[in-house]
Amino acid sequence: MADGAAGGSTHHPDIDWEAAERSPEFRELVQKRRSFVIPALAFVFIWYFGFIVLAGYAPGFMGESIYEGFTVGYALALTQFVMTWFLGWLYLRRADRVFDPLARRASERALAASRAAAPATETPAGGPRLDPAADRTGTSGERVRRS
Amino acid sequence: MTLLPIADVNVEAVSIFAVVVAVTLAITYWASKRTTDATTFWAAGRGITGAQNGFAIAGDYMSAASFLGIAGLIFLFGFDGFLYSVGFLVAFLVVLYLLAEKMRNSGKFTMADVLSFRLNERPARTAAALGTLCVVAFYLIAQMVGAGILIQALVGIDFSLAVLLTGIFMLCYVVFGGMLATTWVQIIKAVLLMTATVVLSLFVLGKMGWNPVDLFNRAQAQSDNPGGYLEPGLRFTNPVDTISLGIALLLGTAGLPHILMRFFTVPDAKAARSSVVWATALIGAFYVMTTFLGFGARAILGEAGATGGVDEAGNLAAPLLAQEVGGGAGTAGGDAFLAIIAAVAFATILAVVAGLVISASGAVAHDVWSNVIRKGHDSEREEVHVARIAAAVIGAIAIAIAIIGGETLNVSYMVGLAFAVAASANFPALLLALTWRRFNTTGAVVGVLAGAITSIGLVLIGPDVRADPIIELSQPAIISVPVGFLGCILGTLLSRREVKADHEFGELWVRSETGLGAEVPVNGGGPTPRPRRRTAEPVGTARQ
Repeated sequence: MADGAAGGSTHHPDIDWEAAERSPEFRELVQKRRSFVIPALAFVFIWYFGFIVLAGYAPGFMGESIYEGFTVGYALALTQFVMTWFLGWLYLRRADRVFDPLARRASERALAASRAAAPATETPAGGPRLDPAADRTGTSGERVRRS
Repeated sequence: MTLLPIADVNVEAVSIFAVVVAVTLAITYWASKRTTDATTFWAAGRGITGAQNGFAIAGDYMSAASFLGIAGLIFLFGFDGFLYSVGFLVAFLVVLYLLAEKMRNSGKFTMADVLSFRLNERPARTAAALGTLCVVAFYLIAQMVGAGILIQALVGIDFSLAVLLTGIFMLCYVVFGGMLATTWVQIIKAVLLMTATVVLSLFVLGKMGWNPVDLFNRAQAQSDNPGGYLEPGLRFTNPVDTISLGIALLLGTAGLPHILMRFFTVPDAKAARSSVVWATALIGAFYVMTTFLGFGARAILGEAGATGGVDEAGNLAAPLLAQEVGGGAGTAGGDAFLAIIAAVAFATILAVVAGLVISASGAVAHDVWSNVIRKGHDSEREEVHVARIAAAVIGAIAIAIAIIGGETLNVSYMVGLAFAVAASANFPALLLALTWRRFNTTGAVVGVLAGAITSIGLVLIGPDVRADPIIELSQPAIISVPVGFLGCILGTLLSRREVKADHEFGELWVRSETGLGAEVPVNGGGPTPRPRRRTAEPVGTARQ
């Protein structure tokens, strides 16, 4: 079985990962994902810890009734639920429309580059191409032969 | 000891249990026929769909502690009980944004696969396995003890027998059916739990004349402390504890090995992220309804003069509420509703402990045995064989500790501890391994150890354990999470740069973001896995 049991995640030394990391598609993917995740997560932290801090230090305020016993604290807690659903849905939408197509293009570019470079594993400048993964893939290859 | 006004053994509850157990064992038999290789055993062949995995995550996450425990906490402490629900839910945004897709893309079977991807295999894997086992140990024993207490109270069978039965059924699922059976047990449990909660909530709202606001007022009127019932502060008198709990809940979920392991069961990152959103929809709806149960139990049981039947921890609030809205104790409707809730609670516990045990057996068999001791030279057959033995041994130990420690073990602080260890030991190392190029093996080992030791140590010297606490803090996360991160960072900066870790970060980074090179599904694992478009190229062909 290719997806052999022993060993961790299969490494793929046949792909030029350094080039993949530098490709404009990958850079754009990382930049776009960050520009969504970082502000969204910052908002979550502020809104959530704001709620927790108010619960800890301002119990009177949280217990104030907005409408016949429906309190500020309960209303704020419900906004946390709405926030989780909304930001989850928003991320899904953005991932489908923006991140996935970019990820696909970055992968295709990396695969095409590796195919072009093979069989000579010549790498562009950027440090020595050590191959520490080779021993790990070696063991997995061994297993494939054995089984 | 029966806390409920029922005869010794509740025949109706036992019959419903029997149906649940029969169905789940039938699924286990079906799953065992398909579990022939390691990918099916650990990851259900990566053939679980996003929606199915969302239900399974919800089933894995909503323990009896949340079903009965949170309803009970709200019943007892009003608003403070609801703080847990909020933290448990918002935590999934951290999982979604930072880990879900990256785990699926870069891991294979366990959390340790991701941590050790580019670090030195043996120390990093051992540290991750240790973090996993710590979390699972606290969580599992808490669930087993909880199971024993609840089943004894609800069904009338003896505590030890209840723990033993729970343990044996759970082991059947895991040992014979692996992740495939465990997943379906979790899905069934999630459906049962949601249905029961919806029905019970509708009954409660009906009693309130369909006016949810009236529920608050009537609950408040029945409280022992009407002034403070709808405000924070009844449970947590120390605000630092409230904040510390908030941190543990928010970040702990992202370090729970049995939840993270679920992301390896889906075919790709897209399914991983949609499963998180499915899970938040289910879990969120469930927690909104637990308020109806908790406040409803206070209002309705209070008005019926039946609050005396609820135990000190509040665990019986929801079952007693069901009995009351079904018609009251002794009536056919009341007893039937109680029996149904008891059976749902039982299914809930079974699904959670099965998920915990399979993740612990992953740490022992896949991480420690196969990759640390045998250094990856064992066969797939051997790994699955060791996994089954490991699951049986872990299950047996948990049963033994739960029976010997018995009802003296405090369930709620053990679950709190599990979240604190997960947030302090597992989450920092995992996050930095995926995002920080300079991060190295020393940093991972120091971080996991520092986080685990600090969180466990603080609880041991805190007010929950000692009569004369050295530190007045019952929730350790506010200290232990920064210590975990600091351990990772200082361990890294004070040790030598690792050429391999630096070099392979590129592979991990590109792979975790794009899915290029991610492990592919196998056939026969479950309902028709979709072909992975992104890795259609056989990138796995290692040059030999």
